[in-house]
Amino acid sequence: MQADALPAAALHLLTFGLDREEFGIPVTQVREVIRVTEITRVPQVPPHVRGVTNLRGRILPVVEIRTRLGLEPAIVTPVSRIVVVEVLARVLGLLVDRVSQVTRLPADSVAPPPEEVVSAEADYVTGVARWDSRLIILLDLDKVLPLTA
Amino acid sequence: MADSFLVIDDSKLLHQMYRLIFSQGTLAGSTVQYATNGRDGYGLLAANPDLTLVLLDLNMPQMNGLEVLARRQAERLHPHIPIALVTTEGSEEDEARGRAVGAWDYLRKPFQPADIERLVTRARAEAAGRT
Amino acid sequence: MTADENPFGDLLQDYVVECLPLAEQVGDVFVELERSWRAGDPAEELLASVKGRLHTVKGNSAMMGLTPMQDVAHALEDACALLARASERRGDEAAALLIAGTGLLVDLIRTAPADGHGTAAADFVKQVNGFLAATPHRPTEPEERRQGDRRGSGSTGRTDGTDGASSVVRIDFRRLDALLEVLGEGLIQQSAFAELHRRLLRRVGPCEELGELDQAVVAMEKTLKRLESTLMETRLLAVSTVFGRFPRMVRDVAHAEGKRVRLVVAGGETSLDKAVLDRLNEPLVHLVSNAVVHGIEAPAERARAGKPAEGVLRLEASSVSGRVVIRVLDDGRGLDEQAIRGKAETLGLEVRSADSAHLHQLIFMPGFSTADQVSRLAGRGMGLDVVAGSIHGLGGTIEVDSAPGQGTTFTLSLPVTLAIVRSLIVEVDRERFALPLTHVAETVRAEPEAIREINHRGVTQWRGDLIHVADGGAILGTDAPVRPPRRFYVVMTAGAKRRGLLVDRLVGHQDVVVKGLDPALGRPDVVSGTTILGDGRVACILDVVRILDGARRAS
Repeated sequence: MQADALPAAALHLLTFGLDREEFGIPVTQVREVIRVTEITRVPQVPPHVRGVTNLRGRILPVVEIRTRLGLEPAIVTPVSRIVVVEVLARVLGLLVDRVSQVTRLPADSVAPPPEEVVSAEADYVTGVARWDSRLIILLDLDKVLPLTA
Repeated sequence: MADSFLVIDDSKLLHQMYRLIFSQGTLAGSTVQYATNGRDGYGLLAANPDLTLVLLDLNMPQMNGLEVLARRQAERLHPHIPIALVTTEGSEEDEARGRAVGAWDYLRKPFQPADIERLVTRARAEAAGRT
Repeated sequence: MTADENPFGDLLQDYVVECLPLAEQVGDVFVELERSWRAGDPAEELLASVKGRLHTVKGNSAMMGLTPMQDVAHALEDACALLARASERRGDEAAALLIAGTGLLVDLIRTAPADGHGTAAADFVKQVNGFLAATPHRPTEPEERRQGDRRGSGSTGRTDGTDGASSVVRIDFRRLDALLEVLGEGLIQQSAFAELHRRLLRRVGPCEELGELDQAVVAMEKTLKRLESTLMETRLLAVSTVFGRFPRMVRDVAHAEGKRVRLVVAGGETSLDKAVLDRLNEPLVHLVSNAVVHGIEAPAERARAGKPAEGVLRLEASSVSGRVVIRVLDDGRGLDEQAIRGKAETLGLEVRSADSAHLHQLIFMPGFSTADQVSRLAGRGMGLDVVAGSIHGLGGTIEVDSAPGQGTTFTLSLPVTLAIVRSLIVEVDRERFALPLTHVAETVRAEPEAIREINHRGVTQWRGDLIHVADGGAILGTDAPVRPPRRFYVVMTAGAKRRGLLVDRLVGHQDVVVKGLDPALGRPDVVSGTTILGDGRVACILDVVRILDGARRAS
């Protein structure tokens, strides 16, 4: 167990759901969570960019994180949300099926990702946390978000 | 020698109007200098001994028309240059005081191009009469 | 002589430029004077300070043959002369008269080109005469006025003392826009040169002359870009041109609402593009009157809360790294979170776990005005959602911050210069796109028979030429499963190239604010930027030059 690679104190996570899986990202990277209004498609954008949306006058690119993680594109429902994150000095929105909540986890509830989850391409999974009876997959947005090679 | 004039008035609109007047008819081709306050105007007066006519606004902040005239009189600066004091109606007292400190004539607002032309004609005639 | 026969008629705009600020300043002084008199301060110097400006407005109006303005300015001069010596007449009645008079003067000047000023001026003069007559014993009036003038002349403290006589040029704003359009053409032509250079290079291979040509083309682009930014700068105006009307407005609204409000204005010299300023006016008016009507409490309520009876409203502008920040702050009661929560719930919004910041942002949503009365004063009932929409349409952002009992702050952030492009908005498969009008030659109703297929590409006759016509959905990748017959086509032009683009609807013309493409969006070929339309939706701005270029290359 690579305890030294994980933060010593508790983890503050925002958890969101895609299909039946739950994912977590550090709250420090989250600027806000908004409801999904209109997402305007933009032609010829890189893969995994679903489009843009108007965030109080700012044009926010919306990332289809589902396809980035190998799932089908999202079907927007009333509980869908856009998680506005700031990563690599860029502000982007992640389109997710639902947002759970902000969770605090003790550091020792995190285990390294199991073999099946990790692959050469999926280096964005930094670990897996067990909480209640749930499994939360921890994502490294720095690795998720470069959308092109 | 072409006519040369000096305008001392703090209103930019008036400058525009004078420009219009001095670019038309018999006055076209004249040289005109502009000052926006009494002090600068006095400096320009001092630097130009050959002015045909000076148009001096009465109401200006800091140094008004009467003060410019009074200083000119006290310092005996270019006494041959005619200075017309530009006033508005209802300032007869000021016109009298103006004459007392050396105003050559006065010009009441609102005036028209013809009024300026009349002043210039008279100023030229008097200058010619002196030489 | 009437205004029509006036020899200085062409100088009407100059008249307005000079006299309007003077009249507004005098109005500000009178508002200040009213407060001073109420506080028991005779403020004689303040009263004397307006004489020079009123005199200038009177004289200028006379020169322009504008009798109503001349008469009103004269009447104000008379009233001030009386108040200078008859101290017992100073008070609310006199102040109201002065303020009303300056308001009228400002309106008259502002509408100077218009005819038929009606009887307003004459009525005001009558009012002043009535006021003057009520004071007995008028000693040597001309003497008084002259003395007052001298004092006034010495201390008007006018700040526009620059010798701007020869260094300022007036130019119609539309000329600047026209210049920018011509510049836009120049940039297109320059890129045609660049393309030509590339083609020559491919055909002929590198050589010394082509190398020099390349340098010249690059230099030309740099020069044109510099010209563009210089031109954009000429459109900058000081924010004070918009702020100027607020002192009087705040006073009027506060008066009508029975409140006491002091307006503090800062940063008036901050500059913004005129196009932005023009459209900032209405939203600001709404925010300011909102603050007075709903934000600041009545004096009694303020006293109970331990606050001074007079509320403070601050209007501040500042420039921060390429953007202009305008803040409207009041020290009133702050946003009512309970009311917002309640309203949110009736609108079906989930707010149980929302924090303050979240709740505050809700007020910009449609239907959210918790004060349902559409007050005549509160900006003609312009809702905060419309304010937000206007600000967004300018490429700006608006946020609100508030603490209960302490006050509310609205912060607007605006780009200093805007690229505004007059565009045609079209709809293809329910998606909206903007085409800059400089690249639109015509819009034509599509008759299916008129478009034939040659080599799998549509062609049609347009003004005697055969042009290619492409489906908007195909070009823009709208991905619609079925392509219905399109009802219109837009003839796009760039340089000498023409091409038709089939679309479903022509939505209309709009000035759109161009927002650059976020780097995350990569480098789309057909889109040069994005914009926010009037309804808040984002639309892509088509890069017509690239589209026409790509089409040619494909053939």
